[in-house]
Formats: sequence, C-alpha cells, structure tokens
Amino acid sequence: MTDRQVAHLQTDARAEILQSIRSCLAESASLNPHESPASSFDVATAPFISDERSLVEVFKQQLESVGGHCAVVGGETELRSALQEILVEIESKGLLIRSLALSDSPLLGAIARELQADGHEVAVTPATSDLFQFNVGITTAQAAIAETGTLVLEQASERNRLISLLPPVHIAIVNAVDVCATLREAISRVRATCETSPAITFITGPSRTADIELTLTIGVHGPKELYVIVHL
Amino acid sequence: MTHLTSETFDANARAALNDVQLRGALRNATSLFGRRRLEASRSVDNWEELRTQARAIKDETLLHLDRYLEEFTANAQNAGAQVHWARDSVQANAIVCRLARERNARLAVKSKSMVTEEIHLNSALQDSGVEAIETDLGEYIIQLAGETPSHIIAPAIHKTRAQVADLFTEKLGIDKTDDIAHLTLTARQVLRDKFAAADIGISGVNFAVAETGTILILENEGNIRFTTSLPKTHIALMGIEKVIPHFADLELFLKLLPRSGTGQHLTAYQSLITGTKRNVDDEGPNELHIVLLDNGRSRMLSHPITRQALACIRCGACLNACPVYQQIGGHAYGSVYPGPIGAVITPQLFGLAKAAQLPFASSLCGACREVCPVKIDIPELLLHLRGEIKQTSDVRNQKSERVERNRAEQLAFKLWAAVMSRPRLYEWSGKTFRFLQRGAVRDGAIRKVNGWLGRLAPPLAAWTGARDLRPIEPETFREYWRRADHD
Repeated sequence: MTDRQVAHLQTDARAEILQSIRSCLAESASLNPHESPASSFDVATAPFISDERSLVEVFKQQLESVGGHCAVVGGETELRSALQEILVEIESKGLLIRSLALSDSPLLGAIARELQADGHEVAVTPATSDLFQFNVGITTAQAAIAETGTLVLEQASERNRLISLLPPVHIAIVNAVDVCATLREAISRVRATCETSPAITFITGPSRTADIELTLTIGVHGPKELYVIVHL
Repeated sequence: MTHLTSETFDANARAALNDVQLRGALRNATSLFGRRRLEASRSVDNWEELRTQARAIKDETLLHLDRYLEEFTANAQNAGAQVHWARDSVQANAIVCRLARERNARLAVKSKSMVTEEIHLNSALQDSGVEAIETDLGEYIIQLAGETPSHIIAPAIHKTRAQVADLFTEKLGIDKTDDIAHLTLTARQVLRDKFAAADIGISGVNFAVAETGTILILENEGNIRFTTSLPKTHIALMGIEKVIPHFADLELFLKLLPRSGTGQHLTAYQSLITGTKRNVDDEGPNELHIVLLDNGRSRMLSHPITRQALACIRCGACLNACPVYQQIGGHAYGSVYPGPIGAVITPQLFGLAKAAQLPFASSLCGACREVCPVKIDIPELLLHLRGEIKQTSDVRNQKSERVERNRAEQLAFKLWAAVMSRPRLYEWSGKTFRFLQRGAVRDGAIRKVNGWLGRLAPPLAAWTGARDLRPIEPETFREYWRRADHD
C-alpha cells in the first residue's frame, strides 16, 4: 500500500466508521426503545475527614500499606533533616545514595546546594541519557490523595516525569495543604491542569509486579523504594 | 509453537484438562484474584451503586458513540495529538507501520495492549523491519517463549518460575536461578537498554476522555511510563469503545477497574496523557498518535444485547469467576480475549463461524455477571449468540450428525419430563437407581467398576464422556422432608 493510499483510506475510514456507528445505532433503536439514562452520574460518597492533620495520617497509613514510606515534618529545617535521615536509611538497605537527581522545583533549590555541600553528586534535571545512572530521584508532588496513599505529579509544574521514574529510589516532597481527601477531589483538581500538563502521573507505592507465579516483586521497571515527605 | 484457534475449542479444552501443571496454576491464580476482588469490592460501601453508574455512563457513551468519538478527536488534536481511524486490523497495522517507516524506526517498545494482540501488530511491524519488544514482564516472558497471553491481566500465569528461568537462560544467557526477584531484575536490566534505544513507544488505552482529549493508562510496573515518556514518538491504539464523556467519570472507573482486576484500591501508576509537550525542551515524546480501531465493534451496536459487550473495561474478573476458565485457562479459547467475555466478544469480532463453540463453553451459572464491574449480562449474551449460531447451523447441516444428536437429546428430555412430572415414578426410579449403584460410589461419583460403570453406553456416552456420573444421594430431599416433618 502506498502512503497516498493509506492517507486516502484514513479519510474514508473515519467516515465509514462514523457511518457504521450511526446506522447500527439506528437499527438497534427499533429493537428496544431505550430509556434515557440518568442525567447526573453523581454517586453519593460518605463524608471523609477534612482535618488537615488527620488527612495526612490517613495518607501515611495508606502509602505504608502499599510498601511506601512517609515522614511528616513541620517546617523547612525539619524537611532537610528528614531528607538526611531518609538517605541514611536508604544506604542502610544496601542501596547507593551517591548521585542525586533533582527536579527544577524552586523548593528544591536550597536543598540541592545543601546536599552538594554534604558531598553528594547532585544534578538538577540531568540529561535523560545520564539519568539512567543516578541513584536517587527527588521531586515535589503537586497533590496527594489520602484515601489511596497516592501522589499526583503534574508535568506543568516541574521536570518530574523521568526523575520520578528512572532512579531506583524516588523521594517526593508534598505540602500538607495539597493532600486531598478523596480520589474524586484529586480528579476534579487535576481536571484544570490537564490543559497545560501533557502528562499527569498518579503514583501509589513503588513499582510492582506479580507476573511470575503471582509472587509480588517490588521494583520491576520503576523505583523499588518510594519515600514521601509531607511538610505542614 | 503453533497457536490454538477458536475453531478447535473442544480439542483445546480437552488438552488443557490433562495439563496438571496448568490446572494447578489456574487454581491458584483464579482463586487468589477472586478472593482479592471480593475484599476490595467490600472496601467501598456503595459498590453496587458504582457498578450501576459505571454501566449508565458506558450505555450513554455507546448510544452517542459517534458524537463522543468526534469530541474526543477534536480535543486530543487541540492538545497536539494526531488521531487516526482504522476500519480493521489491516488499516491499523498499515498506519502504525507507515508511522514507523517515516521515522526510520528500527526498535519499538510496547506496553501491554490487548488491541495490538487483536490485530497482530507485532508481526506486521516485524514484516516492516521493526523489532517490537513487549515490556510488561508477563508479556515479555511469553514473547520470548513465542506464546500468547493466557489471562487478560496476568499473561504468563501458565508458566512456572523454573520455565521462566530456563527461558531466560536460553534467550538472555543468565545463570540458572529459581529466584523470582533475580529473574525480575534481569528483565529490568535488559529492558532498560531497550527503552533507552527505542524509536517508538506503543501503548494501549484504558479510558479516553471526550471532553479533554485525555487518554488514561493503568499499570503496576512502570513500563507504560517508560513507553510513553522516553521514545520520541508515542503511538496509542484503542478500540472505539474506550471513550467516556467526562474527566470526572474517571473516578468511577478508577475505583472499579483495579479492584475488579487485581484487587488493588489503585494500581501503582496511572498515566493521564493529554496531547504532546507544550515546549520543545519539555520532557516526553515529540508526537502522540492515537489510533482508533473499529474492527467489528460498531457492528455490535446494532442490538441492545450485543452492544453490552462494548461496555467491557477488560478487568478479567469474569475469567477468574468462571468455572470453565478455571479449568481450561485462556489458551483453549484460541482468542486474544478468553473466558466469558472472550466467548461473547470473539465470535462478534472475528465471525460466528470462526468461534461457534465458544458461546457453548459455559454452564450459564451467571458468576461472570455477578462480578462484572459494569454489569454486563454475559449469560444473556451467550444465549443470544447461541441462538444466532443455531439458526445459521440448522440451515447449513440439515442432515448431519447434529440433527441425529438432537433427536437423541429430544428423546432423553421427553423421558426425563415424563419421570419428573410423575412424583411416584420419580421416587421409585430414585430408589431403584440407589439400589443399583451400591458398591460403585467412590469419592462422591460413580467410579469405574469392572470396566463399564462410570461410562454410559452410546448414545448416553455423550453425557459421561466429559462428566462424572453423579450418584443418587443416600437420602433424597423428599425422604429428608418427611423425616424432618415427623421430628
């Protein structure tokens, strides 16, 4: 088939498919007069905790139940010491923490300088080909979902798409005010950003598979370890 | 290896029943997934309501599918995606191969997609000189083995760790191991090089949102994120039934799909992709191509009963719940879509004649309908398709064996009806058979004694050929009732 033929088929295909849909629907209308479905799809949901602190507690609990780790801290100084502690903990598990890749979030600027002063090899948004070699990726998260322990990463806010994926460890920092109670809340929140973010990623725990003998194995393609720091 | 076809379903099923290892694996998988689904469905207090609502959304979409597809196309294009329409598998493969050729692509990484299996995209790409590598661990294993998936969400459940280890030793040159973590790590390393080198990433689509042009893909491993983030070109293929009207509808489906599939509240990753990157320096592919595939789907809209099958969200719950699938597994169906949903989709997509045995591969117990997150009445569909098949085959084989078998069947049912409608005769027959079966009952079934019991003589052998002959209970219900009444 020549390319011109393919292009021609394309236009035809669209018209043909739409025509087929319309004529088949018309045919079925005579078989069963369809009641018009409910105009609202609103499903009542039970009221959920609204207190910020308890939301964070629920988030932490849910994240830990899927194999992630969560630290809740107060201000910015506490945030840095929490990060240090996490790096020590990662190292104690036998994983490397020598090279750290950070996203370009303004929040991480000061942290990058400090980590560098501590002797880590630090790069802010390194080239993709280099990113494969990094031990730890650090990003922020634009939102979180308490009921499922989920992080929400929006591409429009920072370069987080690959840093949260390629290194064996992902550390994410999220502001407590961005913790949504429910999946519903998070979806209505990201609805607006999908216009500016070609990719929005929901992350719930580390990468996992059970494809061999249904045995759960952590860290198949994405990170083996997921740490989240929630700051108030 | 030769792949099984739906036309030989009976023989496939018989072979599967004799595969002890397969049946053990199936028992583990289906009971585990079934248990997890039940637990997960109880973690929301309005599960039934969610199912009803999800079905209402699907029904509404299907009734106006033309409109929603056009809305989706316009919004996806506005966000920078290119949308292609394919009437059938030939057109879909031609589109993908042309895109690959125009980009001088040699290597494509693929994430799990049933629709690409349906159209045999991998072999079409191979013919065009493009190597397509499956990156989902289960799919990667069966691709190395030259096999097909046996389960919608766990494609390699039929293989043991030892078989995977042998395969990896042979194809990837690793030392033999039975450590699953090590096998997984091996795949991780091999596939990272592929992700880094691939020219094209090919994925499926779980949901396509009309109002924003967003596609959503769920996974646990991270290979979909790689496939849709690293290569310069991302091609997403979807059946035309994947569209849903509103972004907010995603909530319902994200609650239903993971719970029904793996029993998770949410899978590890959801990628919501809306068009391409807004600035050249941003992360992600330069182009996104979305291929909308009909391939027999629009035809299913022509009847309210058959239309239901298009509501399917491919969770695999009906496979795990099905007593037939539990015994024979996915390969026997000879189709990319196995189990109860496969038995109703396969004949509709590929033709009744090619899969005429599948709608009969069910006891109509209704377990599939019970677990379906979008309340598809699969038994109703099976009966509808049986009717269609019967009508066409009656015309075709007027003087065949089938007609004779029908006569024997009719006679048997007449006899049955005669006994059932006469209480005294019914009771007397029960007592007589119970007397006759003495000594032949073992483990709840009538076993072979002296070479003849347990198998009936023709034409009744058709019944016992694949079934145990059940004995009459030591105490019948009528006897129990009389006794209980006196107590």
